[in-house]
Amino acid sequence: MNPFWATCLILSSLLEGTRGRVLYPLPSKEHKHKQPLQTSRPYNIAHRGSNGEIPEETTDAYKRAIEEGADFIETDILATKDGELICFHDVTLDDTTDIANHTEFSDRKRTYQVQGFNVTGFFVVDFTLDELKSLRVRQRYPFRDQQYNGKFSIITFEEYIAIALDANRVVGIYPEIKNPVFINQHVKWPNGERFEDKFIELLQKYGYGGAYMSAKWLKKPVFIQSFAPTSLIYISNKMDSPKILLIDDFSMATQDTNQSYWEITSDSYFEYIREYVVGIGPWKDTIVPPLNNYLTAPSDLVYRAHAHNLQVHPYTYRNENSFLHFDFRQDPYEEYEYWIKTIGVDGLFTDFTGSLHRYQKCASGILR
Amino acid sequence: MSPLWATSMIFFSLLLGSHGRPLYPLPSKQQHKEKKALQTSRPYNIAHRGSNGEIPEETAAAYMRAIEEGADFIESDILATKDGQLICFHDVTLDATTDIAKHAKFANRKRTYEVEGSNMTGYFVVDFTLAELKSLGVKQRFSFRDQQYNGKFSIITFEEFIAIALDANRIVGIYPEIKDPVFINQRVKWANGKKFEDKFVETLQKYGYGGAYMSTEWLKQPVFIQSFAPTSLVYISNLTDSPKIFLIDDFDIRTQDTNQSFWEISSDSYLEYIANFVIGIGPWKDTIVPTKNNYLTTPTDLVDRAHAHNLQVHTYTFRNENSYLHFDFHQDPYAEYDYWINTIGVDGLFTDFTGSVHQYQEWAQASATNEASALGLLHKLALMISSFEGEE
Repeated sequence: MNPFWATCLILSSLLEGTRGRVLYPLPSKEHKHKQPLQTSRPYNIAHRGSNGEIPEETTDAYKRAIEEGADFIETDILATKDGELICFHDVTLDDTTDIANHTEFSDRKRTYQVQGFNVTGFFVVDFTLDELKSLRVRQRYPFRDQQYNGKFSIITFEEYIAIALDANRVVGIYPEIKNPVFINQHVKWPNGERFEDKFIELLQKYGYGGAYMSAKWLKKPVFIQSFAPTSLIYISNKMDSPKILLIDDFSMATQDTNQSYWEITSDSYFEYIREYVVGIGPWKDTIVPPLNNYLTAPSDLVYRAHAHNLQVHPYTYRNENSFLHFDFRQDPYEEYEYWIKTIGVDGLFTDFTGSLHRYQKCASGILR
Repeated sequence: MSPLWATSMIFFSLLLGSHGRPLYPLPSKQQHKEKKALQTSRPYNIAHRGSNGEIPEETAAAYMRAIEEGADFIESDILATKDGQLICFHDVTLDATTDIAKHAKFANRKRTYEVEGSNMTGYFVVDFTLAELKSLGVKQRFSFRDQQYNGKFSIITFEEFIAIALDANRIVGIYPEIKDPVFINQRVKWANGKKFEDKFVETLQKYGYGGAYMSTEWLKQPVFIQSFAPTSLVYISNLTDSPKIFLIDDFDIRTQDTNQSFWEISSDSYLEYIANFVIGIGPWKDTIVPTKNNYLTTPTDLVDRAHAHNLQVHTYTFRNENSYLHFDFHQDPYAEYDYWINTIGVDGLFTDFTGSVHQYQEWAQASATNEASALGLLHKLALMISSFEGEE
């Protein structure tokens, strides 16, 4: 990071009036060489940060994940009323913020259709970034640590990128183009730009680019994920960064093309989509369907994906016993072992970065 | 094991009408080379009521699963039936872990008794004969654990429990508890003025258990005898030199026999006294490191003081479910083992999940070995070199 680049960045951010935190290299960070991304074992993807411990998609959750050894920090990108890109999972604020305590917003409750269903709540797209920043985030699950509730804010896509680039080793990002159909219906940008355009622009602004495993990519690893295939195809013209097609449960059709699970996991579809994506991200209970909380026979989904040279990154791995099938005797490490050694996945979205990292360190067996 | 011995054994069991399974050596087990020894180099993996995270507690299947999964010791609670038989069962009542409610013919046996100072209502073990208890089906105590074995297994006897341990193809220790002795001795009477503790020790000695801790005799058939009642342990110390563990309950519970408080029995002077009779203590882990808002607070000095008195510490109970894990551990049972083994330094862990403790200990041992070995060094070098690979 040379001074000339830094000056340009500062100048351009002043000119464009962006809200991003200026990325000038701090003296302490004049790094020699950052420890590179590991690429020899399945990726440890910190799903919404280390949200098993800290409220999801906050700075602290991401920093904790990096501390704990994440290969990638993952996020969901949505847009605000004024077109800013933020890290937030739900289209509504009800479950993970203290919106209910803000009387000044109590008249903003709405009912909209989201992916075919009517949803009622306080929608992200009805608030400006400033208004959202006045809210405080809380832990989604009551059985997880509540002590940070009300302490942290929602962060922007740029702040999230800064966290990754700030780390003292190479940490990849894994942002999702979330609910693009809904966002493009509710949020408009000037010059006819769409949600997907703004998403790409931000990544390129911070130097992300390059095909999977290229030298450029290895310096700033990124996977772009989405449930909407047309969004991924659309951006593939503009950016060669590796993309992952997320696949929902058996009963859910794609939000943009209304295709069923069976269609988008067929061999012919894989053959088509592999021109645009490097892998798929299925829900793990569709790969190995459970019955009475026991695993049944695995489907051939992973096998077929691999045959089409598509990686498989299933979601989501959680330590709590309510999420663990009985085969694993309430032991999250048994679950990792099964998915990594028996099924052979290429990445794992986990709420518990530290546990997966510990498993990979211990069980991989040094030099075994 | 000669044929003469076998014949005498069968003959005597016919004569005495004992309920024990006669231990004649099976052909497959005869030509045993050396059984793999008990590991003594790291904290003991004590299968608390067997592998009851997966299979209903204190059943043959739970114990066999625990042995499969690598338990050092299989643990049990010994109670007595109406007809004076010793069984493996934890509660004095049958309600929580059996299908007693389905047995209409026993419906009139419900009672209310005082147990350790509190009134309890239910179907009491001491009001049923062994044959009657054998007709019941055991079920998984916790609703969030696997229910698929409910009703499939029976209650087993102390002798059957011992047989499971001795039958294993490696040396597996037993860890039986003299459970609720005050209550049992009130309700069950044996011939010749014998007490519960006498019958308990007799059963152990019948199967050859004996010898001081770490003696050759002990290492062949390892055993720890545990109890919450100090006088029971003191009493049997005259009868057997097997190592004993003094269990300690929560802060507000007093000993059932001597009515002493937690603070009394964990004091230095008491530890000094009890160290004459036991080789260790078994405290509840939340008394060693008290918790607040589901976070650990500062550890007490209990483990240090116990160790200073040359007393081992075997703490209970380790469970994988997140509702039992304090937030410090991030819902990760292995992080909990790590803390208790490496930070607190306990000598044994009572766990409902034998397999997980075993896996943790094996991995920890492997990586420790690797770090020390030449291969480990090579690996470290490789890591150092690869960290420069990003160089332009």
